[in-house]
Amino acid sequence: MAQAFPYTYYACNCFDSNTSGKRAAAVLQEAADEDEGTFDPRSPRANYQLYPLEHLLYCEDCQQIRCPRCQIEETLNWYCPSCLFEVPSSVVKSDGNRCNRSCFSCPLCTSPMQTFSLDPTGESGPPFILECQYCRWSTVEIGIEFEKGQGISAQLARIGNGGKPLPSHKERDKERERRKELEARKRDGRELFSPSTETTHTDKDEGPPSHDDLFASLSAFYKSQVESQTSASPFSSHDINFSSPSAYSRIMNLYSTSGPKKKQRPKPTAMREAASALEGLTLHDPSADTAAIERLKRDGWASTISPAQKRAQPNPSVRFTSDLRPLATLLCTKRSKRCRSCRQILTKPEAKITSTRYKIKLLALNHIPRLSIRALASDTPVPGSSRPPAKVFDYNALKPGIPTHFLFHMSNPLFDPIKVTLATPSTTPGKVQSRVTILCPQFDVGANTDIWDDALNMPAKRGSLLSDQAPQIEAGKIWDRGRNWTSVAVEIVPGFLDESARVEAETPGRGGPLEEDDDVLEIPVFVRIEYEADTGADERGLVDSKGGKGEKEKREEAFWTVVGVGRIKGS
Amino acid sequence: MSASGERKVSASLGRSVRGTTPRLADLASTPETPRTPTLGRSVSSLFGSPGGSFRTEDEYVVIEVGSRYLRGGFPGESTPRCTLPYDPENQRRVGDYRQWDPDYAQKRRRPKKGQEWGQEYELYRMDLTKVDLRVVEDKFERMMREVYNKYFVLDTKPRRILLALPPKMPHPLMSTLLDVLFGSFQAPSITLMSSPILSTVAAGLRSALVVDIGWAETLVTAVYEFREVHEQRTVRAGRLLSEEMAKVLNAAQVEQLGYVEDDDTSFEEAEEVLSRVAWCKPKPRSNRRTLYFPARTSPILEEFEDAVETPEPTVTIPFPKASPPAEVTIPFATLAKPAEAALFATETALSEFDDHELPLHHLIYRALLSLPVDVRRVCMSRIVITGGVSAMPGLKSRILAELEALVQTKGWDPVRNYGTASARHEQILRQKMEALELRKQEGEDKVPESLDPDNPLPAAHRPQDVWHHEAGVEREKTRAGPPPESLVGGVVRGVETLGPWAGASLVAQQRIRGIVEIDRERYLQHGLQGASKDKEVSVVPQRQSMGPGVRGGAGDRASWTLGVWA
Repeated sequence: MAQAFPYTYYACNCFDSNTSGKRAAAVLQEAADEDEGTFDPRSPRANYQLYPLEHLLYCEDCQQIRCPRCQIEETLNWYCPSCLFEVPSSVVKSDGNRCNRSCFSCPLCTSPMQTFSLDPTGESGPPFILECQYCRWSTVEIGIEFEKGQGISAQLARIGNGGKPLPSHKERDKERERRKELEARKRDGRELFSPSTETTHTDKDEGPPSHDDLFASLSAFYKSQVESQTSASPFSSHDINFSSPSAYSRIMNLYSTSGPKKKQRPKPTAMREAASALEGLTLHDPSADTAAIERLKRDGWASTISPAQKRAQPNPSVRFTSDLRPLATLLCTKRSKRCRSCRQILTKPEAKITSTRYKIKLLALNHIPRLSIRALASDTPVPGSSRPPAKVFDYNALKPGIPTHFLFHMSNPLFDPIKVTLATPSTTPGKVQSRVTILCPQFDVGANTDIWDDALNMPAKRGSLLSDQAPQIEAGKIWDRGRNWTSVAVEIVPGFLDESARVEAETPGRGGPLEEDDDVLEIPVFVRIEYEADTGADERGLVDSKGGKGEKEKREEAFWTVVGVGRIKGS
Repeated sequence: MSASGERKVSASLGRSVRGTTPRLADLASTPETPRTPTLGRSVSSLFGSPGGSFRTEDEYVVIEVGSRYLRGGFPGESTPRCTLPYDPENQRRVGDYRQWDPDYAQKRRRPKKGQEWGQEYELYRMDLTKVDLRVVEDKFERMMREVYNKYFVLDTKPRRILLALPPKMPHPLMSTLLDVLFGSFQAPSITLMSSPILSTVAAGLRSALVVDIGWAETLVTAVYEFREVHEQRTVRAGRLLSEEMAKVLNAAQVEQLGYVEDDDTSFEEAEEVLSRVAWCKPKPRSNRRTLYFPARTSPILEEFEDAVETPEPTVTIPFPKASPPAEVTIPFATLAKPAEAALFATETALSEFDDHELPLHHLIYRALLSLPVDVRRVCMSRIVITGGVSAMPGLKSRILAELEALVQTKGWDPVRNYGTASARHEQILRQKMEALELRKQEGEDKVPESLDPDNPLPAAHRPQDVWHHEAGVEREKTRAGPPPESLVGGVVRGVETLGPWAGASLVAQQRIRGIVEIDRERYLQHGLQGASKDKEVSVVPQRQSMGPGVRGGAGDRASWTLGVWA
């Protein structure tokens, strides 16, 4: 995969537990999987289960790895990644998830934009523009200039493309009311005239209403409709306010036999649909279509925007470059993470925006032994090649069919020695079948004690505890060991790429022509570790009082990992 | 539609927005003698503590799940906060950054073997035999996590979810989606709304014929008073269109650059061209297959239409990912071909189509034809075209024009072939057409509703006329009632919509409660099987215990329903 070879991915256990006992089909499928028994790094689900060790957290209470999927995230604070300004939560609620100062990114290439002055005198006076430093797109292209260099987003909200002022929400509402009244008056005056013709007249002056306009009109229309339905009743939505006097009158109404409710309330008028553009009704207008086609014909490819750019726009229905708007920077958050099952806090960053430190940080890195692989290249027999042994091993060109030795390196972050058992299928799953043999699948790894022990005890050979004998590849023997690490040899025979067509013939559905990443040699390795932990270390409060310190507790962890060895070279 | 009829229908509305609008007049008149009103628990919460929970409980997020895109945002906003595609790039392992590797980015992605066109870009497909639901779950979960953590950036308060879904969905798939939303995102309750209804809402209408040209299929839904009354589908939609576009592009590349093995147009490229420069031709004036008036249109017009512009307009499309990178110049007219072939299939005779692959205009016509007359009258003037493909310039006009032509030539006659009587029938039709033409020539000042000729008509037409008469009377009566524009009917008319997401946002903003409201606890206990109520549930009895803006929580309901999805 795209990580540099070799790499190791860890599978989080939550996936097995998550799907157990759900759907019949899934359960059947699972049963089939269990028969196979091995983790398949090529299944489409594997992409969602595998994480680099650095991305995983560890819940000490549950004693389990926690992947992003089994965490709950809680936002602590919001900030703009561009100006590092902390945004209070109330503003996030009211103004949305984007920076409302002057941070914008380019709608074409997404790089940050800067404010420049277009002042011809050379002083930084108005007018100002936003310009992208990477692709040189600027707001001049959409006809927008600013009067002030600060508070760009407030200014931008009031300018439409081409420089015409955009009304604010309130102005919009007022304008709508005004025009509605006008219309109503006209209708009263000339009854026979259908208002639709008039509204189209007024609309023609300003072009079709914008998406926002329409939405605001619709919203106002529905609101008025709902109100006209409920306002007559004592329970209208406005009255649900306990400090208002209407609450009292409502209660009185409930208990009184006389009063307005006794007489038959007129049936509420049926709700109707929007009837004019002011209420949000837009009839299809073929001329808009024709105009768009003409424009495409005239300006061609360059005038249009790509799907990704379109999706990033605040209004994703735009089509031409002239409709682009600068994108206000999305706010980022600092989040604390909790374990999904026991709610323990796993990580909690410091509240200060500029600080990158954490108050609480339970990384899997500190609790799970790290398994890594590297080539034992120096003495790999390479027949028919006069390659100098000093040459760096090329993980991107594994030779098919030639047994190659690698080292599994297991390092232990725990303060207790661990017993490790590795297991792997003898042939890798996937279309290219490589054979894998771990020469010593069971071994011990020392505790993570003081680093200086290491340096003081073994100055001669770098970290190795087996300095008296030369390492050798032998079944049942470890290759090398250090203070808190052990390495074992593993023999891998990479499969032949062109063999998969033959496999296809034998077992349909397995082989077939190669696709992207089929030539990557990935080994699923099941890791099981056992260790005796100090119970007192973890559950201090309780155990301390009992004086049960020093009691050992046997613990066990087991998980799948996927080791990416390299890419098999085609013949 | 008469006003009284409208009222009657709406009173028994099931999942209608209008029906769910609480009419509290009922509430106040319930107790006859002075006594403590027998109101439900939800109202007792109203009289109880008005604490903070009262307001916070109301908060919604609005999510629309389609097979290609996920839209999420907050109620009352006109556009979603995010529109995310189910891109294979988003589905990589964590820590796999190859999409930013310049070498990788310049290569075309080859479709995986055994996968259909664009399958990697879908969240689900309706045929569950080919879908691994667990993968769907994983994909959806990851996507939702991005939505929540990157775009919603909410505080920890759980929010209710208004979920816009297509009106037909396999239950296993639904429960997969709901599992994720309830399980991973702690939604206290989820309200399901069907997207055609939301499109209707976002068009400002109460009844409409919603044509949703989506990815896998085009769905024509007749909505009458916020209720789906009829539904038809065809596979002529986005996927077919995109495949056709790939064919066109491949042909152009082979022609101009020569054939390169294994270097076909990738899905992204086809999609990009489709969304940028594809267009749809207006309806050709002389339709070869029009039987009834062969030489009626003037030859001059025809000539004008067919006149080739010189030089022929072209569009230069860059293919930076081709090997070697290239630019291909394609005649502008060619870019309209995919729409022609995929959506209208003008080259093929109608009899050749299977039921699932009718061209769009025929599908809409059939949907209208199968509606009751009064519903048809309302729906045909409220044709709402939505869905991803509908943004293609010219498409809406074309569909409406084709439909208009179909209606004019065929009328509302479900009989397609009169056999031996066909000669007579044709004669009648011709008479009708001529009368129509005559009227058109006489003057345009007629109100469109009077387009219906009074001369001999197929039987299917007559009730409409009667209706028109009634409508006139009714209008006189209810001058204070709805304005006449909201009663328009009987003509083919297109109405623009803001799309299902905007509709959902509107609905949530008005705090309108849906019929299908799934409570978290109940769902976690029973799953979808917990939906014990009938499909045709009415909100009317429940209104007595509900106030506007008062949410006692769906837990008050003894049982819940799946509505359309049941």
